Order: sequence, then structure tokens, then C-alpha cells
Amino acid sequence: MSMKYRWMTAISIGLLLACTAVSLPVAGSGPSKALSVIVDTTADRSDEAQAIVEYLRDVGVSAEVRVWEWSALKERILAGGRQMYLTDWGSAYFDPFDLAVPKLKTGDRGNYSFYSNPRFDAALDAALGTIDAEARRQAYFEAQEILWADVPWVFGYSLLEIEAAQADVLDWQPSMDSRMNLHDVGLKRGDTIVVGMAADGILTLDPAAYRDRATETVIRNMFDGLVTRTVDGRVVSEIAESWSVVSDTEYVFNIRRGIKFHNGDALTADDVVFSFDRVIRDGAMGGRTSPRKGLLGPLAAVEKVDSHTVKFELSSPFPVLLQALVHVQIVPMNYVLNVGDDGFARKPVGCGPFKFVEGRLDDKVVMERFDGYYGGSSDLKPVGPARVKRAIFRMMPDPTVRVAAMKTGEVHIIQTVPAHLAASLARDRNLQVKSAEGTRVYCIEMNCARAPFDDVRVRMAMNHAVDWDTILKTIYVDGATRLATAFLPSGFGYNAELAPYTYDPSKARALLAEAGYGGR
Amino acid sequence: MRLSRLQVKLIERIAATIPLTLAVALAAFVLMRAIPGDPVDIMMGEGASSSGEEVAALRTQLGLDEPIYRQLSGYLKGLLRGDLGYSIIRSRPVAEMIWEALPATIELAVYAMLFALALGIPVGVVSALKHNTAFDRVSTAVSFVGVSLPAFWLGIVGILVFSMTLGWMPTSGRIPYGLEPRHITGFLTLDALLTGNMPALGSALRHLCLPAVTLGLGVAAVVARVTRSSMLDVLGSDYVLFARAKGVPEPAVTIRHALRNAMIPTVTLVGLQFGSLLGGNMIVETIFGWPGLGRVVVDAIFARDYPVVQASVMVYALTFVMVNLITDLLYTVLDPKIALQ
Amino acid sequence: MGQASLRTDELYQGTLARSANIPVLSPAGRAGRAHGARAGLWPRLMSHRGGRLGLIIVLAYVAVAVAAPVLAPHPPGAVNLAGRLTPPAIGTGNLLGTDQLGRDILSRIMHGARVSMLVGLATVSISAAVGVGLGMVAGYYGGALGRVLARFTELLLAFPYLIFVIGAMSVMGPGFWNLVWALSFKGWVEFYRLSRALVMSEKNREYVEAARVLGRSDSVICVREILPNIVSSILVLGTLRMGNMIVMESSLSFLGLGIPPRMPAWGSMINDGRRYMLTSPWVATFPGLALALLVLGMNLLGEGLRDVLDPKMMEG
Repeated sequence: MSMKYRWMTAISIGLLLACTAVSLPVAGSGPSKALSVIVDTTADRSDEAQAIVEYLRDVGVSAEVRVWEWSALKERILAGGRQMYLTDWGSAYFDPFDLAVPKLKTGDRGNYSFYSNPRFDAALDAALGTIDAEARRQAYFEAQEILWADVPWVFGYSLLEIEAAQADVLDWQPSMDSRMNLHDVGLKRGDTIVVGMAADGILTLDPAAYRDRATETVIRNMFDGLVTRTVDGRVVSEIAESWSVVSDTEYVFNIRRGIKFHNGDALTADDVVFSFDRVIRDGAMGGRTSPRKGLLGPLAAVEKVDSHTVKFELSSPFPVLLQALVHVQIVPMNYVLNVGDDGFARKPVGCGPFKFVEGRLDDKVVMERFDGYYGGSSDLKPVGPARVKRAIFRMMPDPTVRVAAMKTGEVHIIQTVPAHLAASLARDRNLQVKSAEGTRVYCIEMNCARAPFDDVRVRMAMNHAVDWDTILKTIYVDGATRLATAFLPSGFGYNAELAPYTYDPSKARALLAEAGYGGR
Repeated sequence: MRLSRLQVKLIERIAATIPLTLAVALAAFVLMRAIPGDPVDIMMGEGASSSGEEVAALRTQLGLDEPIYRQLSGYLKGLLRGDLGYSIIRSRPVAEMIWEALPATIELAVYAMLFALALGIPVGVVSALKHNTAFDRVSTAVSFVGVSLPAFWLGIVGILVFSMTLGWMPTSGRIPYGLEPRHITGFLTLDALLTGNMPALGSALRHLCLPAVTLGLGVAAVVARVTRSSMLDVLGSDYVLFARAKGVPEPAVTIRHALRNAMIPTVTLVGLQFGSLLGGNMIVETIFGWPGLGRVVVDAIFARDYPVVQASVMVYALTFVMVNLITDLLYTVLDPKIALQ
Repeated sequence: MGQASLRTDELYQGTLARSANIPVLSPAGRAGRAHGARAGLWPRLMSHRGGRLGLIIVLAYVAVAVAAPVLAPHPPGAVNLAGRLTPPAIGTGNLLGTDQLGRDILSRIMHGARVSMLVGLATVSISAAVGVGLGMVAGYYGGALGRVLARFTELLLAFPYLIFVIGAMSVMGPGFWNLVWALSFKGWVEFYRLSRALVMSEKNREYVEAARVLGRSDSVICVREILPNIVSSILVLGTLRMGNMIVMESSLSFLGLGIPPRMPAWGSMINDGRRYMLTSPWVATFPGLALALLVLGMNLLGEGLRDVLDPKMMEG
């Protein structure tokens, strides 16, 4: 080979080697037992993860971040192969039933930290085995104290759900359960309200065929349930006029008269029975089982008592039944049987304030006011038909673009404003920014089944090492609430007395040393 | 009666797409099964716990507990019947989802390509005619920078400048509700033209502007480079010199003789780049909330919705192959020497 | 079929070469070059205006990358949450401002030069090694291997790349080298097509015939006779592809699959900054400019090399 190629090749190879040598982190060669961890995260929390890693390094832990695609990470977590991971879990029932139980009960499906404590499990069982509120509260308090002492996670925070709207949107209030109640909202000008959804798309228009929140947010404007919630999470009547608790496994609901579906059918006990049967009976949806079945726990059967009364039978006490019922929407029996499940998903008919016009699930869903609406919950003012004539939900997955569309006036309401953009929106006089307490717990889970995190001292050290207050104040611009354990302030049985772990790097170092891990 | 060379070639090429498409389908199947993650688990999401039995039952219903070879043979049999399967997460036919999304994606890619050609060819030609002048150097520098800007950054800057500051273009979506033209082809601008619906046409074009420019800018840069260098080639060739010597006026030399020949590589490039436009649209579609195939497929891959990913990959591959076939035909038209060979 | 696809291949190759401005030498140009005497490449490159500028830019980047620990005013990973998103200003210690974690953007760009250039260099090197190796074998022997590879490359081109990379990254997990492999997986196709076409036209040339007559083995002919004659084209393609790979890395960051975050890389910096474009545009803009300037330099250098190596296409 002639000279000139030699030097080119030499330069290339030299460059390659030089870059390799200088840019890759050199493996730690400190004292024999320095703690070394990899902190896994998904892209949306990568900023926070990098800050956390710096805090861990401050206390002598050699830490690195890895950014993963969630499903790929989860499979590795479940295989027990990861150490520390930033995760989050949403709760819809305002009760630890769908938060602490799936996340921390021994062997439950969301228990990524492999935490197992029979006393904790017993406390949860006690809280869910009765409908006596005081006994439940006691049990949950005990569970929180156990968690606080055991520290299976680096306990984190919950984020405020920040939403924004144009100034001429009236009586708008974000709600804790991601409901976008367009029935109560008015417009100063115009009659079409456009909502920018923080989702790539929704999954379906059939209330029995999904389990994600975005779909529910859209669907609940077309369908009503037996009960609903106020923006702060109190359960109030909707289709049901009243209910009575016969025993801890039997409830009776009286259905409001005069409710009509969008196609004119009158709503009766048959529709209620059919709607629940479709969710809880195996294969009830054209051979498939509804993915929502698990949400109704021990609900065994719903029976018709008379044309406007139904009876719920449970196989065991289910103290969160009312919260669960908020999420089951009533569908018209005859219509669904006529058009079939596919046909129903294509052209849904409910009894909610808006009726379906047209839609593409990953683009926009258009609804029009249902003039025959019975008025909705008498506890949520105003009662009557919806105030706006038309509602459009647009899918806008990129947060920056959602905010831009808000500023240009293309949309009236947007979901999930990133905390750092909230201030700039709030300064705009044409806009209003409001927030609701979040119902999602963000934390760092540790693999408690394996060293080093099988040692409670190491886990405690991690809790003292991270300065959450600074992280929440800066990265999340104060838009977050610090949590002492895995229980949410909005949930039933929250113990406000329990204080979160303090940021104390020297204590963290001492705990690590006690556990046999020297600093670097 | 013998078929012409062109016809034979055409038939060969079309026939060759079948094994290729099947291979792509197979590759997509293998890739999806290799990826960790479980669609049922993703579908069950969070919230209240579900029993193991419930998850297992769902998996059985979806046929996900069958051995891989059975799933594969079922999938291939379905393909041969023209059945693309059923979306796991959205429980609706995959073919329906793709038909719904494909026109948006193709329309965007076509406009991005039109923009790239409209900008790239003139710039390339002028650079070649005035080569080594300031115009040439500036356009060269700009086109290099154009290639090196990531689309997601360009897109946001575009929204910042043209939507938020100047208010010329909407930030996202294809067309506002109520303005849609009657559905004929699914291509909004075409439908608007066919039905003579001018407001819809204007609105659709305004919505297309930013995403098409974002997507097409990189291609415009490449087109400009290719046109420039092939123009330079052609301008130095014997027959252009001959034409000049014969006294053919300069504009005629440029357009009739040089440009036509210089277009050959550009046309081929269009085929290659169209493929990359289709494949690269996922990011632009996400930013601009464009309801196309790119978003369907990214969504599906993260949700492990196997049938949707497999089918979309096949559609991408088929489109790519078809565009290249058309390009080759165009090439033959532009360069008669090849057809006569 | 064979002939049809051969023509498509040639077409691709020609277009590819033009799109990258690769010297696909005319026989006349080649005859002059094959083993011929040439004036030193260095002086000629230095007298080529664009090439010189490109070289200066690229060398400046290399210098910054090498000297980053000395030049950078701050450690690239020094998080300072209290001083996050400080705008660029002279005299504050953060000339280009700070990012969302309060890290100095200038320092991160300097250190990022190492990582990003390494991504480019590593992916291009791997792609070139694989592509040229296979391309030479396929070009020299043709036959079954050539046909199999032809089908395989068609499959790769037809398969949407981003989907492949997302899949591959999910299978392998995040990590610097995993990213390099995923990016190289398709990158070699261009090198393969180019080198195959070049070898196919070189192998019938007189000097190769002469070597055959002298009884040299095929491998010797390929490596010692043909390779030196095609290496310049490959080098040019490599220069031009490096920028693309760096941009590609940033696109993967957009999908959350980029380089591990403690390593500062321009792609992930641009993507991190994207979320702050409305309030703090400098976070994404400066790394973007750094990337654009490097790509400009690389391309100028590549063009310069092309002109210098191919006298026929020399301009001016």
C-alpha cells in the first residue's frame, strides 16, 4: 500500500483508539468493597436519574445511569437481573388497594422490588377483609409503619397533574382521576371545545376493552357509571340514585329513572346487569374476556331485582367497591347485542353527556352534545345537558407541541403540562393553569432479594442519600409532593404523621460503612 | 408475440417483490419475538392486581401461549390468505388500522419529496452553472448543515418560529374538524381538489407545510448535491460542448441537453430517498401529531403489538420496493439508451 | 432476473456515489491512477480550498476532543441543580449557559466531541470493515455468495431501519457499544455496494491480469492490488457517513435509546434540550451547532479528498 493510505489508516485507527481510551468510564479500582450500582430509568425520568446518581456518588457509591425502553427493562427487572430502578405506579381507587397491594404484597404482580414481609401482607389483608373504616385505617397505618422501617424503595413523590386552558373556558377544573369532565365546562365564545390529550392515541371506544387512563378520559364523556367522583375523589351518585349496604358482601343499587341512551333506548336494570356481566364473565366479549375483570376484584355476580334495582354479590368483602364502580361504564344491552362487540367499538352508544360522531383513535375523536342527557350526578353542578355543543379530543403526544398549540389557541384545554413550562403559561393572560394532586407514585425500587439491597441498612442509606427536596424544587419546579412511604395523601388510610426520610449524606455514609461498604 | 425487454424486466421485478416481502415479514416476526416484553402484561397495565389465571387466560385467547413455530405458521398462513391479523392491544383488524394511517404517511412523504425537489434541483443547477462562486459555496455549506440537523430539533424550531411567533402555520394535525373534504382517496389535498373544496385544500396545505419541510430538508440537501455534481459532469461532456459549438443558445443547452441528462441520477435518488422518508417519518409524525403509519408502528412496537408491527413493516417494505420499481421505469424513460440496449 | 438486479445494483451504486460525491472513476481517470506516480496528496489537499477548510475544522474538533479535560472550564458531569438553565453569558463561568441539571454546556460540548466522534468513527469503521470485506469477496467471485448477499442487502434496505434499531436496542439493552452495533448493522450495506461495484470493474483491469499471470493468489490480488485502488473511494464515503451516524444517534436519543446519560453526547444533549426549547433554547441549540459544523467539516474534507484523488473531477 502506498504511503498516503498508510497515514490515513493510521490516523483513523489512532483516533479510534484515542477516543475509546479517553471517553469510556474507567472501571472503579477503589477499596475492595465499594458499593457499585446501576440505576435504571426510562427516558422521561433520565434528568432526575442523573441527579440521583450524582447524589449517590457523593456518599461514595459508584453509580451509573442506564436509559431503557420500559417493557424491555421490566422483563429484566422481573427476571431479578437489575439493582435499582426508577418506576412509577398509578392508583385509581383512592385506596392502597391498587397501589401498595400490587406493588408490595409478597409475589404480587407489580412487586418489582421482590419485597416480602408477612406482617405487612397481614396488615393489607386485614385492611381489605372488612368494610369497617376504622379497622381498615388502623391496618393501613400499621402497614405504613412497617414500610417506613423496612424501606423497600427509595420513597419518592407524586407529581401534580398540571393542566392548562384558555381563559375563556369556564368552570374548568382538573380532576385527580384524570377525568376530563367536559359536561360541566362552558365556553365564553364558540361552541366547540378542543382538548389536547397527552397520548399517542386511545385504544378503543368500548368501555370494557381497555385498561389505560387516556382511553378512560375520552370515554367517560360518552358513558356514565353507577357512581362518579368529585374532582377531589369523593364518590357520589350518577346513574344510581342511591345504594344500600346489605352486608359486607351484598350491595343494592337503585337506578335513576328516565335515563336514555344516545339511541333512545331507556336505561334499565338489564343494561346494568349486562354491562357488569360483560366485564366479569370469562369470554363475555365475543369469546374474549374483558381486561378490566381484575379491577372488580371479588365481584361475583350482579343480579336484577326489579326494572330499576340491582344487587351486587361479592365472594369476599370488597371495601373499595364504590371506588371501583366509578370505572365501570354502563352500555346499552340491546344495541351491543345487535351490532356485536366490534360494531359497538366502531360506533359506541352510551348515556353520557356527549354522543360519538366520528373518530380516529390516534388522531381525534369528535363528540356532540346529547340533548336527551338526564343531567348527570346531582352532586356535580351544573345538572342538565352539556354546555358546549361539540367536544373534540386531539392526540398530541409531544408536550412542547401541546403547549405551543395552547399558546396559538388551537386547543382549549391540554393535559399534562411539563412543570417547567407551567410558569410561562401562567404568565400568559389569555390562559389559565390549574393543577390537581397526582395519584401516581414515583420512586426508586430496589431489588430487595439480592445483595446489596437485601440489607436494610443499605436501603436506608439510599433513602438518606438522595436530596429529593432539591430535585423536586428544581427539576419539577415545586410541582410535586414528597411521600414518606408508598401511600398517597389522597388515598384512604394515609398517615400524615410519618415524615419522609431526611437528606443526610453523612448518615448515609455511616449506614453504608456499617453494612461493610467503604467509600471511594 | 414476444414480450419487450421492458415488460420482461417489469414482470421479473414484480415477481421478485414476493419473496422479498415474505422475507421481510419473517424478519419482522423474528425481531418481535426476540424483543423482551409481553403484550398481555402491557395491556393489563397498572392499577388493581390481576390474578395469574386472568393473565394466562388472556394469553391463551390471543394465541400467545402456543409454541413459536405454530404462531409463525399461523401468521404465514394468514398472510397467504391476505389476513394481516388482529391488533392485540386495540382489538381491531390490523389491515383497517393500516389503511386508515397509510394515506397520511404517503401524503406527507410525497409533499416532503416535492419540497425537496423544488428546492434541491434549482439550487443544484444554479450551483453547477455558477460553480465556485459565492452562491455555490453558500449553498454547499447550507446543504451540509441541512443534512446534519436532526428532524426532531428542526420540527420544534419550526413550530417555535412559524407557529408560535409568526402564527403562519398550525402546530399539529392534518386538518381541523369540520373542514375535511369528502373521503375519496384519503389524501386530503387530492380529495379537496377532486371535490373542488378550496378551503379544505388551503387548510390541508398549511398543516402539511411544517412537517413536510422538516422531513424534506435533509433530502433537499442531498438532491441539491447530486444535481450539482451530475450537472457539472454533463456540462463538461462532449455533446454539451458540441451543442454549444453548434450555436445552440445557452438556456437551451442547459435545459434541453444538460438538465435532462443530469436528472437521471436525481430520479434514482428520489427512489432511494423516498424509502428513507417513509422510514424516517416516525419522529416527525410524533412531533406534529400526524396520524400516520409511523406513529402506529412506534406505538405498536413499544406495546409489543406483534401483528401490527409485522404488518406495518411489510407495508413499508412493499412501498419501498414499489417506489424503486417506478424509479427504475422512469430511469428507462429518461435514458432511452438503456431501453434500446 | 440476474441481469435486472445487476442493473439496479449499478444504478444504486452510481447514485450512491453521486449522493455522497464519491469518485466513481472513469476508465481514463483510473488508468492514470493505477499504480501511477502522483504528486503528494498532502500538498494537493492543502491547496484545495474546501478540503483545507474541512481538514482544519475536523482537526480542530479532534484537538478539542483530545484536550477537553484541560480546555473545559467545568467537569462535564458536575450537576448543580441550583444553577440550572442559566442563559449564556460572558463572565459568569458558563459561556454557553447551563443545561437542565446545571451542567456547563460548553464543557459538555467539548467532552461530547469525544463520544460523538467516537460513535461516528466506530460505526463507520465497523461498517466499512464488514462492507468492504464482503463487497470485495462478492465482487471478486460473484456467484452464490454474491447472490445471497444481494438478497440480504435488499432485505436490509427494505426493512424500516428505525424499527430495527428500536428492536435491536430492546434486545441488547442500553449501552455504548450496543448502540454502535445497532447503527453499524445497516451501515455496512453502502460500503458493501460501493466496494463490490468497484471491485467488479477493477478485477478485469490490466494490472490485475498481470498479477494473475504472475501467479499471485486471489487474496493477495485483492488485498495488495485491488484494495489500494479502491480505498480512496471508501475513505471518502466513510468521511461523509460519519456525520450521518452522529445525527442518527441523536434520533435514537429522541426515542429514549441513546447513549448512557453520564457520557455527554451531542445527540442526547440536543434531545434533552428539545423539551426546554420554549423556555431555554440554548440547551439544544449549541450542541446542534457543534454537530452541524463538524458535519460541514467532514463533508468538505470528503469532497476535498474526492477532488484530489480523482483528477478528472477536479474543479477549477
